[in-house]
Amino acid sequence: MAIEDAGIGRSWARAAANEDDWDALYAEQLPRIYNFFRYRVGHGAVAEDLTSLTFEKAWTARRRYRRDLGRFSTWLLAIARNVAVDHWRRHREHAPLDAAAHVDAGERPDEGAERRSDEERLGLLLAALPDRERELIALKYGAGLTNRAIARQTGLGESNVGTLLHRIVQALRARWTEGA
Amino acid sequence: MDDRFLNQHRRDPEHGFANALRGRLRRLEEDEEAAPARVRWMPTLAAAAGVALVAGLFLVPAMRVAAQSVLDLFRVRTFAAVPFDASRMDRLRELAQQGDSSGDPIKLGVEKVETLKDPGPPRVYPTLEAGAAAARLERVRSAGWLPTGMAADTVRVQDEAAARFTLGTTKLRALFDALDLRDVQVPTQLDGQQITVRMSPALIQTYRGGTRRVQLLQAVSPEVTLPPGTDLAQLAEIGLRVLGLDRTEAQRIAHSLDWRSTLLVPVPANAASFRQVTVQGRPGLLILSSGMGAKGQRRREGSLLLWTEGDRVLALGGDLREMDLMQMAQSLR
Repeated sequence: MAIEDAGIGRSWARAAANEDDWDALYAEQLPRIYNFFRYRVGHGAVAEDLTSLTFEKAWTARRRYRRDLGRFSTWLLAIARNVAVDHWRRHREHAPLDAAAHVDAGERPDEGAERRSDEERLGLLLAALPDRERELIALKYGAGLTNRAIARQTGLGESNVGTLLHRIVQALRARWTEGA
Repeated sequence: MDDRFLNQHRRDPEHGFANALRGRLRRLEEDEEAAPARVRWMPTLAAAAGVALVAGLFLVPAMRVAAQSVLDLFRVRTFAAVPFDASRMDRLRELAQQGDSSGDPIKLGVEKVETLKDPGPPRVYPTLEAGAAAARLERVRSAGWLPTGMAADTVRVQDEAAARFTLGTTKLRALFDALDLRDVQVPTQLDGQQITVRMSPALIQTYRGGTRRVQLLQAVSPEVTLPPGTDLAQLAEIGLRVLGLDRTEAQRIAHSLDWRSTLLVPVPANAASFRQVTVQGRPGLLILSSGMGAKGQRRREGSLLLWTEGDRVLALGGDLREMDLMQMAQSLR
């Protein structure tokens, strides 16, 4: 799933050469940014709004970045990360930890067998994560970055990224399994 | 590590959403094309970091910078505006397209341009502190007051840049001929002289609210290393003539400014106005767009404020009314 910068860099190079290739670049990058936000802030309209904001900012500034052929993906994700930080700064609406604990039941007591969707359960588990951990998960599983690319984005060491992600995923999986 | 439960939740965006966003991006592009003059008179904001400021520095004063000593140095201490006819800039661009200047007016009259340090694209930083550290700036300013609806948006740093320009009298004469400036003498000692421009890293804070955007730029003054030799006022006069000023006005301005510390900002006469103001006790230059482009087309109103604090250059500009821009500038802390 990992997306290599080099490939994206080549796409950006094509786009620089031909404005029409923006369509191709847009199609290539949109799912990655959109999923970054789905894992980072939640599903639905908020993820779409923040994706829009990220692309509008990038689009407005695109001509200044044409020479940076190899790092467009890094730049776009940096904008997305800033957009997410601003979002959380404005809307401190972290789900309380015990909300995630209730998910473990997997069923609403008063609604019999109606199960919450896996997506909803994962959303609540992610919402219970500290901000930094949730961002790492979003970069890894939403944006599809390698540990090395995450290290470049965050300034953490690559091995440190691997260790942190391993620990976070283990904890999430334990809760996920308990709630299954 | 079993992480399938995390991987399986990636989804493609809805087609409706993807198409709507693509449409909005296209409209943004159309808006940009409808207002091409918007950036033309505001080069310094985007550019104390780049080519536009160099152009501002050199289209007029490139020829002004021969000096008295072996090595002379220019640093911005004050800004001054000079109105010019926008059609002259169009003519310069036209000449640049025709010749071997790669469409770049700055290369008119310049024998060779060497990039010593390519600044690359601006980099986004997560915090003001991180950006300030990258720009090697201490005690950076930020807005203490913002117009209603505006909020801090991004922090970017434009890396340092450097270029060396080699002047050539043959090209200068050709330029004067093309502009029909028959009475302008080209000092022969300019031939082969080199000018080096070094731009410090610039910290650019963007504030945004709806469709409005304001940017605050902070950077150490650019430095221009000058060749030995000639009368600065004489060269300034030549530069002003290139910009379209008549001989009397060019002479008056050339002999009234301190060319080692004053950055001249060309302002299209029919598209913008300017005046001197005071920003936190320091002199500044305020440029206001008229809401009309240099060619008479409609464009968004805006304003740009330039001033210095010690060795630091500050520029604040964007889609704001004069009153809001000034209040924002006075609130910097």
